[in-house]
Amino acid sequence: MSKKKTKSNFEQDLSRLEEISRILEEDSVELEEAISLFEEGVKLSKSCLKTLKEAELKITELKSELGKITQVDEE
Amino acid sequence: MENEKQILTVSELTKEIRKTLEETFEQVSVIGEISNFKSHISGHWYLSLKDADAVINCTMWKGFNQYVFFTPQDGMKIIVNGKLTVYPPRGSYQLDIRSMKPAGLGELQEAFEKLKQKLEAEGLFDEKFKKPIPVFPGKIGIVTAIDGAAFKDLISVAKRRFPLVEIIIAPARVQGSGAAESIVNSIRILNEYPGINVIIVARGGGSIEDLWAFNEEIVARAVFKSKVPIISGVGHEVDFTIADYVADLRAPTPSVAMEIAIPDINEIENFINEFLLKSTTNIETLLEERKEDVASFHKSYGFRLPMEKLNRNSQQVDSSIGRILQSIEKYSMIYDNKISLLSKSLESYDIQRVLKRGFVLVEQNSKFVTRASNFNKEKKAQLKFYDGEITTQ
Repeated sequence: MSKKKTKSNFEQDLSRLEEISRILEEDSVELEEAISLFEEGVKLSKSCLKTLKEAELKITELKSELGKITQVDEE
Repeated sequence: MENEKQILTVSELTKEIRKTLEETFEQVSVIGEISNFKSHISGHWYLSLKDADAVINCTMWKGFNQYVFFTPQDGMKIIVNGKLTVYPPRGSYQLDIRSMKPAGLGELQEAFEKLKQKLEAEGLFDEKFKKPIPVFPGKIGIVTAIDGAAFKDLISVAKRRFPLVEIIIAPARVQGSGAAESIVNSIRILNEYPGINVIIVARGGGSIEDLWAFNEEIVARAVFKSKVPIISGVGHEVDFTIADYVADLRAPTPSVAMEIAIPDINEIENFINEFLLKSTTNIETLLEERKEDVASFHKSYGFRLPMEKLNRNSQQVDSSIGRILQSIEKYSMIYDNKISLLSKSLESYDIQRVLKRGFVLVEQNSKFVTRASNFNKEKKAQLKFYDGEITTQ
C-alpha cells in the first residue's frame, strides 16, 4: 500500500519538478520566489533520485478464471 | 424363406450401412470449402464441406476441435482428416473430422484479409478510438505465456528501464487451440484488476499459424472493448496481426512494447541532474544580477541624493548652531561687562555712603586694614575719606 503511494507521489513530484524547472527559466520570476522554488526543487530531486535508486520490480501473477492472485518473486 | 431372410428393419439396414461405411472410410482425407460453419454452445462444431458438385455434412467434436489453431470461416478451403459415419435418426452420413488444417497459407491470408476488411469497415481500427498511452504507468498488465521468451524480454526491459513499475501478468496460451479464448480471458481479467494503466499483449516470433490467435475475431473484439489502453507486441517487426490493427498502439516486438509503455530511468535521472545543474546556475545568475542591481543603485545619483541632502542639512545645522553660540557668547560678554560695571558701582556706592558719614578706610599695601592689630606703624598708609585720600608719612 505504501509502495503504491510512493509511486503516485513519484509521478507528482516529477511533474512538479518539471513545472519548477519551467518557472525558473522564465525571466519574470522574483528572486525570493526563485529561491524558494529552487529549494523545493532540490528537495524533490533528492527524493526522486532516492526512489529511483531503491526501486525494485514487483511482479504479480494472476491465476486466470478464479481471479486468485498469487505473488511471484522475481528470479 | 430366402426372401423373408432378405427383409431387414430400417435399423438393421442402417446398421449394415454404417458398418460398411465406417470400415471402408475409416481414415480419409478430404479437401473442400467450408460452408454453414457453426460452433455450438456445447463446444462441438458443425459444418459442411463442398466443392462445385457435392456437399458432405461434417461434425468435429469438442475433444478434437480444441486442437485446431484457427477458427474456421465459411469459404475457407481446408483439408480434413476423419472417418465417415452414419447418423441413424436422420438416415444421413457425415464426416467425423479428427483434424483440420487450411488447404494452404493463402487460405489463412484470405481469412486475415476478410476479417481485416470487416473490422475496418466497422471502425475498429479508427484513430478516434485509440486511447492514449500513459507516460508513467504504475501498473502494467501483461497478456502472454508466462514461460515464453516474450515474457522474459518484457521483464528484463522493465527491470532495466523503469523498475518502479509493477507488473501484473495474466498468463495466456498464445498458440494453438484455445489460445484466442485464453487471450480474451486474460484481457478481461486485467480490465477487472484495479489500477492497471496499460496492458501489453505480446508473443514472440513464429509462423503465421503460431501467431494465428492474434488474428482471431474474438481477440480483436476483446482488444477493442478493453477499457485499459492496449499495446500489442506480437512476433517480429514484419508480422502484422489483426490485434495490432485494433490495439491502441502497435509495437514491432514485445521488448519494444515495454519500452514504449514505460519511461527510461536514465532519462529521468538525467532530467533531475540537469535540473539541479541548470537551476543552480539560474539561481546564481539571478543572485548575481540582483547584486549588480543593488550596486548600481548604490552608485546612482538618485541613491546618493538623500545622503547629500543630509550632509547639506547637517552643515546648515552646524552653522546655525555656530551662529547661535556666537551670539550667546556675545550677549553674555555684554552682560558680563554690564554686571561687573554695575556691581562695581554698587560696591563703590555702598562705601561712599559710609565714608560720607565720616568713616575712613585705611589701606596699607593695597589692602584694607580693618583691625588695629593688623596696622603696621612703620609703613605708609592711605587714608580714604569721603572727599579725598591722604597718604601718611
